[in-house]
Amino acid sequence: MVLENTPPAFADWIGPALVFFLQAAVMLGLVALVVGYLVSAFRYGPLGGGDVTYRMLRTAIRDLLSQSPRRILALAWLAIQESLRRRVLVGFGVFLLILLFAGWFLDTRSNDPATLYLSFVLTATTYLVLLMALFLSAFSLPADIKNHTIYTIVTKPVRPSEIVLGRILGFSAIGTVLLAVMGLFSYFFVVRVLNHTHEVDVASLAPSGGESSGQSTGRTDPAQNHRHQVTLDADGHGATDVVQGHWHTVDERVENGKTTYVVGPPQDLLNARVPAYADRLLFKTRFGAADTRGISVGNEWKYRSFIEGATLASAIWTFDDITPERYPDGLPLEMTIRVFRSHKGDIEKGILGSIVLKNPRTGLSSKINTFTARDFETDQLQIPRSLTDPAGKPIDLFDDLAPDGQLEIVLQCLDDSQYFGVALPDIYLRARDASFTMNFIKSYLGIWVQMLLVTSFGVMFSTFLSGAVAMMATLAALVLGFFTQFVYGVAVGTVEGGGPIESMVRILQQQNVTTQLEPGLTRDVVQILDNVFMFFMQAMTSLLPDFRRFSDVEYVAHGFDIPWDVIGVQVVSGLGYVAAMSLIGYFFLRTREVAR
Amino acid sequence: MAAEVIVETRNLSKVYRDFWGRQKVRALKALDLEIRQGEIFGLLGPNGSGKTTTIKLLLGLLFPTSGQALVFGRDATDVSKNERLGFLPEESYLYRFLNAEETLDFYGRLFDMSAKVRKERSAALIDMVGLGWAKKRQLKEYSKGMARRIGLAQALINDPELILLDEPTSGLDPIGTREMKDLILKLKAQGKTVLMSSHLLADVQDVCDRIAILHQGELKELGRVDSLLKVRDETQIRVRGLSKAGEAEIRQVIERDHASVLTMDNPTTTLEELFLSIVRDSEARPGRRAKSDS
Repeated sequence: MVLENTPPAFADWIGPALVFFLQAAVMLGLVALVVGYLVSAFRYGPLGGGDVTYRMLRTAIRDLLSQSPRRILALAWLAIQESLRRRVLVGFGVFLLILLFAGWFLDTRSNDPATLYLSFVLTATTYLVLLMALFLSAFSLPADIKNHTIYTIVTKPVRPSEIVLGRILGFSAIGTVLLAVMGLFSYFFVVRVLNHTHEVDVASLAPSGGESSGQSTGRTDPAQNHRHQVTLDADGHGATDVVQGHWHTVDERVENGKTTYVVGPPQDLLNARVPAYADRLLFKTRFGAADTRGISVGNEWKYRSFIEGATLASAIWTFDDITPERYPDGLPLEMTIRVFRSHKGDIEKGILGSIVLKNPRTGLSSKINTFTARDFETDQLQIPRSLTDPAGKPIDLFDDLAPDGQLEIVLQCLDDSQYFGVALPDIYLRARDASFTMNFIKSYLGIWVQMLLVTSFGVMFSTFLSGAVAMMATLAALVLGFFTQFVYGVAVGTVEGGGPIESMVRILQQQNVTTQLEPGLTRDVVQILDNVFMFFMQAMTSLLPDFRRFSDVEYVAHGFDIPWDVIGVQVVSGLGYVAAMSLIGYFFLRTREVAR
Repeated sequence: MAAEVIVETRNLSKVYRDFWGRQKVRALKALDLEIRQGEIFGLLGPNGSGKTTTIKLLLGLLFPTSGQALVFGRDATDVSKNERLGFLPEESYLYRFLNAEETLDFYGRLFDMSAKVRKERSAALIDMVGLGWAKKRQLKEYSKGMARRIGLAQALINDPELILLDEPTSGLDPIGTREMKDLILKLKAQGKTVLMSSHLLADVQDVCDRIAILHQGELKELGRVDSLLKVRDETQIRVRGLSKAGEAEIRQVIERDHASVLTMDNPTTTLEELFLSIVRDSEARPGRRAKSDS
């Protein structure tokens, strides 16, 4: 799984995040105050404007201190009733239809069906729920204002903040229920679709590993577009090989003199691996010199860097806390190595690599472990406690290689002119497995936070825009939120081709992104305008939520446990946005004439 | 001692502007009003005279362009004034997917009332407006008259001290109109202050203590209804059972006083009164056609 930004620990994140939140709140508050005063001063004169601004602030503080939970709940109840009336359940019907016909479109011959199906259900749920939240939240308040039903609300002792909060709460409640039901259906859909078994092809069973071993091998019949190789021991117990990310247990049974083979359900198909990542990753160049990065094989993606095969180049991961208490059965090493071929070679064969365990203090290392790396496949290595050094002398994993808990894992590519691409999370120790069901629920929490964000943005925009415009504004925030990193790149100038105006000029003049614009007045004007745009873009990307950070689909689809730290960060930052949107919505609603 | 001032406007003006800030309509011009506790005050005027604008300004639904609107001594934009206020809008702008009970319960919750109080108030008000038989029906199934009645019930859910009624009799049939007027008088009897707007002169004449006549956003007349309607230099004589000789004698007296007789004939009732008497007669004796005297 690609983990470009290591998620911070919640405890480390919360302090700086709160400071940033308060800074942003103070800055925005000051800007709003100045703009508010200027508008009031324009209408009522400098003194009158000051008086209006002061009274507004005083009223706002009083309003925010006199919130009534009963009123908020009443308005939330109304929002729920309204959602039901607006046939929100149609969205659920669409979801069921998608699930029913999903099998037609999903490639069941995929190498990793679990990833495929999990990505599919989670993505479908996310888009449907976000769309639903978008429509509900953006149109509700404008419809109330247009139909004048708002008159009977605002002439009661209802604070504008209660109207905003009530709506956010109501739409979120209905979204939560829908999400829970969708989650339940998705869970059973994935489990049922992926669950399968095979029959052992008895004719294919033949003795192996010598006559005395009693071992036999064979294969299963095909099911769900794949088949397995079976290995049975002398007692008739065995297992299949790993195909499409899973394996089965196989047991021989003799009933009434007839031998049958029972193949169990798929194992390791739906996982929630808890990885222990290395503390750091360092490299050695092709001449053996230490470096912080490997080499680049192209100017595309800087996440991974590469080591050259059949040279002294290596990637060295340093792990901490390697103790027999934590890993009583040895080290369960898993790695996903990216393969870059400078020549095709035998495309059916993987690229040969080696793993060596090393004591970082003494330099003592284990014998070379070789393996074959295939692109986009996760290799598993169980490293036992008893090892040998290169000379064949027995050594102990914990006592000799990691006496103080620190251990180096050295990776090399052995094939000439071929390359391995690695990043820190590409090799990890599978410390334990968490519950898949719990992980699935956690991923829905991520979707829930996204729904909460869209709802609060929709309601906030609907306090001062008409329904269609509020929907477009929310959609813009959502799209910008999904492409925050790219927009930030444009804003700070790291994306080639300049700002939005320069890009438009390039499109119109059919220029590529790398050539310089002709010097002159046009270029100067374009760049000045772009600088203004880019300033606002940078400000927007700093303030808008990065929606991809709220998505946990990658974790679940690739079988990794979502750390509670990640969930904590998502939920707290989501609630932070809700609070901010409620406050902004309050001021917009407070300062507008609802009867216009 | 003069009663407490409940509603006060000082130089209240409202100008509607377009998106670019250009003046569209000057809806209200420097209105000065005082409405005291316990009176029924009528805002009278043709369509577009500024009645609804005045009410919206008093409710804080619009902000004044200049001047001040005070309700219970507080600025009209102060939400807390709504605790003691009830409002019946011109149309019954209610949530059509709720039924009568749900509607009243919802508005009761907006006043932070407990469940018990809400239940009692809802039942009493539904009974008062005579919608007990339709309390479980969604409001979208209600006729206009029924919607007005449930609208009035929601305006009274908090037992308000001040009730603002925007065109309270619009869309009501004569019976409904009379019931509404009776109810307004009943509210006055309970010591409540009522501010109503209407363009129907008869409604205002029947119930209001004082009226303000607005035209094109300007206050044209303000005062007690009885004194405003009194024509001081004319005398109307209505007599029953007068003989021809008696009539001739009265005419002689008038001539001696150098006054001129404008009319002296049988007075007519209003159409509303006639319709009501026919309906009453029809209800008292079902199946019988009411006869007119002509």
